[in-house]
Amino acid sequence: MSESLRHRRAFWGVGLVLVAFGLLALVGAGELLAQDASQIRRYGDFPVIGARGAIWITAQVHLMFAAFVLGVPMFAIVVEAIAIFGGDKRYDKLAKEFTRLLLIAYSATAIWGAMLTFALSSLYPVFWSYLTTIFGPSMWLYAALFIVESFTLYLYYYGWDRWSEGKAKYGHWGLGILLNVWGTIVMFIANGWLTYMMSPPAEVAADTAPDQVQLWSAIFNATWMPINIHRILANVVFGGAIVGMYAAYRFLAAKTDEERAHYDWMGYIGNFIAIGALIVLPFAGYYLGREIYEFNQQMGITMMGGFMSWLWIIQAFLIGVLFLAGNYYLWIGMGRIPGAERFTPYVKYMLVVLVAGVIVWATPHTIIASRDEIAAMGGTHHPFLGALGVMSAKNTAVNLMILTTFLSFMLYRRANKIPVVNWARSGTIAQGAALAIAAVVVTFYGVYGYFVTAIVRIGFSVYQVLAVLAAMLLVVVLDVMMLRGAKSRGEIRWGQMPPRSQYALFVLAVTFTWLMGLMGFARSGIRQHWHVYEVIRDTSAQAATPALGPAATMISVCVLIFLSLVAIIFWLGGLAEKPAHKDPADLVTAVSRGGEV
Amino acid sequence: MWRTNLAVAFVVLGTLGVYTAVANMIPQVQSDVPEELVLSADVSPEELVAAGENLYAGSGGGCTACHGLGTRAPDILGTAGSTCETREPGKSCKDYLYESLVDPGAYVVEGFQPIMPDMSRTLSDAQIWSLVAFLESQGGEVTVTGADFAGSDDGPPPTPADPVTDGDAAPGDIDAAALVQSLGCTACHAYGASPGGIGPALSEMAGLELDYLRRSIIDPAADTATGFEALAGTMPATFGELLTESELEAMVTYLAGGAE
Repeated sequence: MSESLRHRRAFWGVGLVLVAFGLLALVGAGELLAQDASQIRRYGDFPVIGARGAIWITAQVHLMFAAFVLGVPMFAIVVEAIAIFGGDKRYDKLAKEFTRLLLIAYSATAIWGAMLTFALSSLYPVFWSYLTTIFGPSMWLYAALFIVESFTLYLYYYGWDRWSEGKAKYGHWGLGILLNVWGTIVMFIANGWLTYMMSPPAEVAADTAPDQVQLWSAIFNATWMPINIHRILANVVFGGAIVGMYAAYRFLAAKTDEERAHYDWMGYIGNFIAIGALIVLPFAGYYLGREIYEFNQQMGITMMGGFMSWLWIIQAFLIGVLFLAGNYYLWIGMGRIPGAERFTPYVKYMLVVLVAGVIVWATPHTIIASRDEIAAMGGTHHPFLGALGVMSAKNTAVNLMILTTFLSFMLYRRANKIPVVNWARSGTIAQGAALAIAAVVVTFYGVYGYFVTAIVRIGFSVYQVLAVLAAMLLVVVLDVMMLRGAKSRGEIRWGQMPPRSQYALFVLAVTFTWLMGLMGFARSGIRQHWHVYEVIRDTSAQAATPALGPAATMISVCVLIFLSLVAIIFWLGGLAEKPAHKDPADLVTAVSRGGEV
Repeated sequence: MWRTNLAVAFVVLGTLGVYTAVANMIPQVQSDVPEELVLSADVSPEELVAAGENLYAGSGGGCTACHGLGTRAPDILGTAGSTCETREPGKSCKDYLYESLVDPGAYVVEGFQPIMPDMSRTLSDAQIWSLVAFLESQGGEVTVTGADFAGSDDGPPPTPADPVTDGDAAPGDIDAAALVQSLGCTACHAYGASPGGIGPALSEMAGLELDYLRRSIIDPAADTATGFEALAGTMPATFGELLTESELEAMVTYLAGGAE
């Protein structure tokens, strides 16, 4: 098939998708206009999927794009910094390539944000009025910063080549930092709105007029900062995963070895950043969970042990997939590194630890059980599996999985290097000892946790986390010092990766995206039938919080919409790369065959 | 190229399909909105108990997130109506249960953390009183009446309603089937339409020795029925105090006869 025919087909494909979206929007608008405009309705309706469904999809897809446009700039400035301070131009090209994708993704974010605003104001007008009364000034600031952020992005991208040398390059990097600053502030503002709905200040009650609520008090609520931190880290993970997916597709579609090598390397960088940030993400999640419990015990219990208890089993399953896919990619990647074969025998042991960890993490414990289920189990907990479902076992499992994944990275990093410092052997032994001691500490407190009260047991998780973090820090510091001036066992053979490795990157990206939707459902769903928890009740027909099955279906729809649009963005990004004129020889060939040029 | 595109689409859709299927296969629990409760002043105890049970078992009250797991909060099914009398000296069962719902920090059962939320933030007064009625029915007498929540804030605590049986009645005059219901035995033991499952079915006690049955009611820890060892200790040990001698004998005879 000719290139032009493929482009024409893709053009019509994109056109059809856009027309379909347009038709749905028109139908929706018609229905909304047909409603009685003379009265202020509490709730509007949306055809087919209902008001809740419309809000769910627009909010979720907007959030996914928002995470993308916040995560990728973080990625871009880190990569650009490596290029500036490390002198490797490949990194500069990589950073620019992503920023180009950002331009289109930014538009998509804004479009879905506008759709969400319209949906909120037309489908939940009274509640929207309540929110705007409290948060109005912050909404104007949000809009202003959004404009500033857009201009900074344009300057950052279009000034890339102009400000590529000397001091101007530092100025350009400064623009990238500014872009991140604006984006982070914008996210923090929006987080204030949504966390207010979860954890309104204690002084706000059902009869508190919205104009009496203090703006700063509403924004700086109990879960605001934990969500801010969690989202920053999650955005980095997400950005890395999407970058990895992009690289994987381009690798599979590559026609030359040079292209394949470039996208192989890009996929590795994306995966490295995604898994690297994923390792610390559970700690941020733990902080957020603790703050939710501090704010309201019942909310915390609803989240962890109430009707959402099964959600955490699904989450454990997904995170297990992430750890396994991420490690699988690294292990396959060792095949292209000279010297990595000496680490191959250890892979099976790491796989055993990861699989065992996933199994333990996904073991249920405190799940709402009916009388029949209690009778069938012979008790409130399963006689054998119940012991694995407690926090002691789960914390031990996840910390050992983190240590194992970290070890995979270190082996990958060390594979083709020969340290030349005279203390290399002692340093390596010290690294191994640090990891072993951390594993022993984690296991010791995991077992000891069974013999103490719940309050004491909860405190043990801090020791486990500190042991893991301390070991990782020590090992990295030693590694950096030890590998200074290291000899190479041979260059990494970029591009020589089997295609199956690239599908692992797709699984990672899809899983991260789905997990984001699932956690969004958890965060929003624990409010249950409240717009603002225990302050404004949801009295609409769709106030009940759906079970996990329908929620999962909705999440999959959102992910599919998002990934389809991302595919279009990638395609558009690819179009910008294509030369305007083909090689003259190709022109001659095409014309002589009567084909199109 | 199309082969690559198809493979990518297969991986993406397959991954989404697996996650969606797994999430649809596990038990589905929806969080329903608690219904508005409209109760008249002459509401019957049965209506109150039924309304309270709906709140307790449904997600409206959120009670089962902690009660029943055995770790976060006391197990109260089948026992709340009997243990309530002993919690705070001088406080009636009804007052104690009401207090534990609207001012849960006032008394915390030993061995548990003060994690119970103030239910008056989320439930109406009628809903709270219906929960009190349901909890009273778990091993005790239902004393809540419509007077408790009809213009409730002003008056003194209402007087308890009549007990289920006359304390002077002879065993032969006592309706043991009504006792089974009022004491909340059916919360754990299969009986009629109640599935039970926490303890042996009442009909399975037919033909057992009267002494054994008597001891099982007064001192349930003395023996544990085969197949229920893991649930030992669930049955409250307060029935000896709750039942009169005549009621106990009526119950034992009723159970030994097959509870029919």
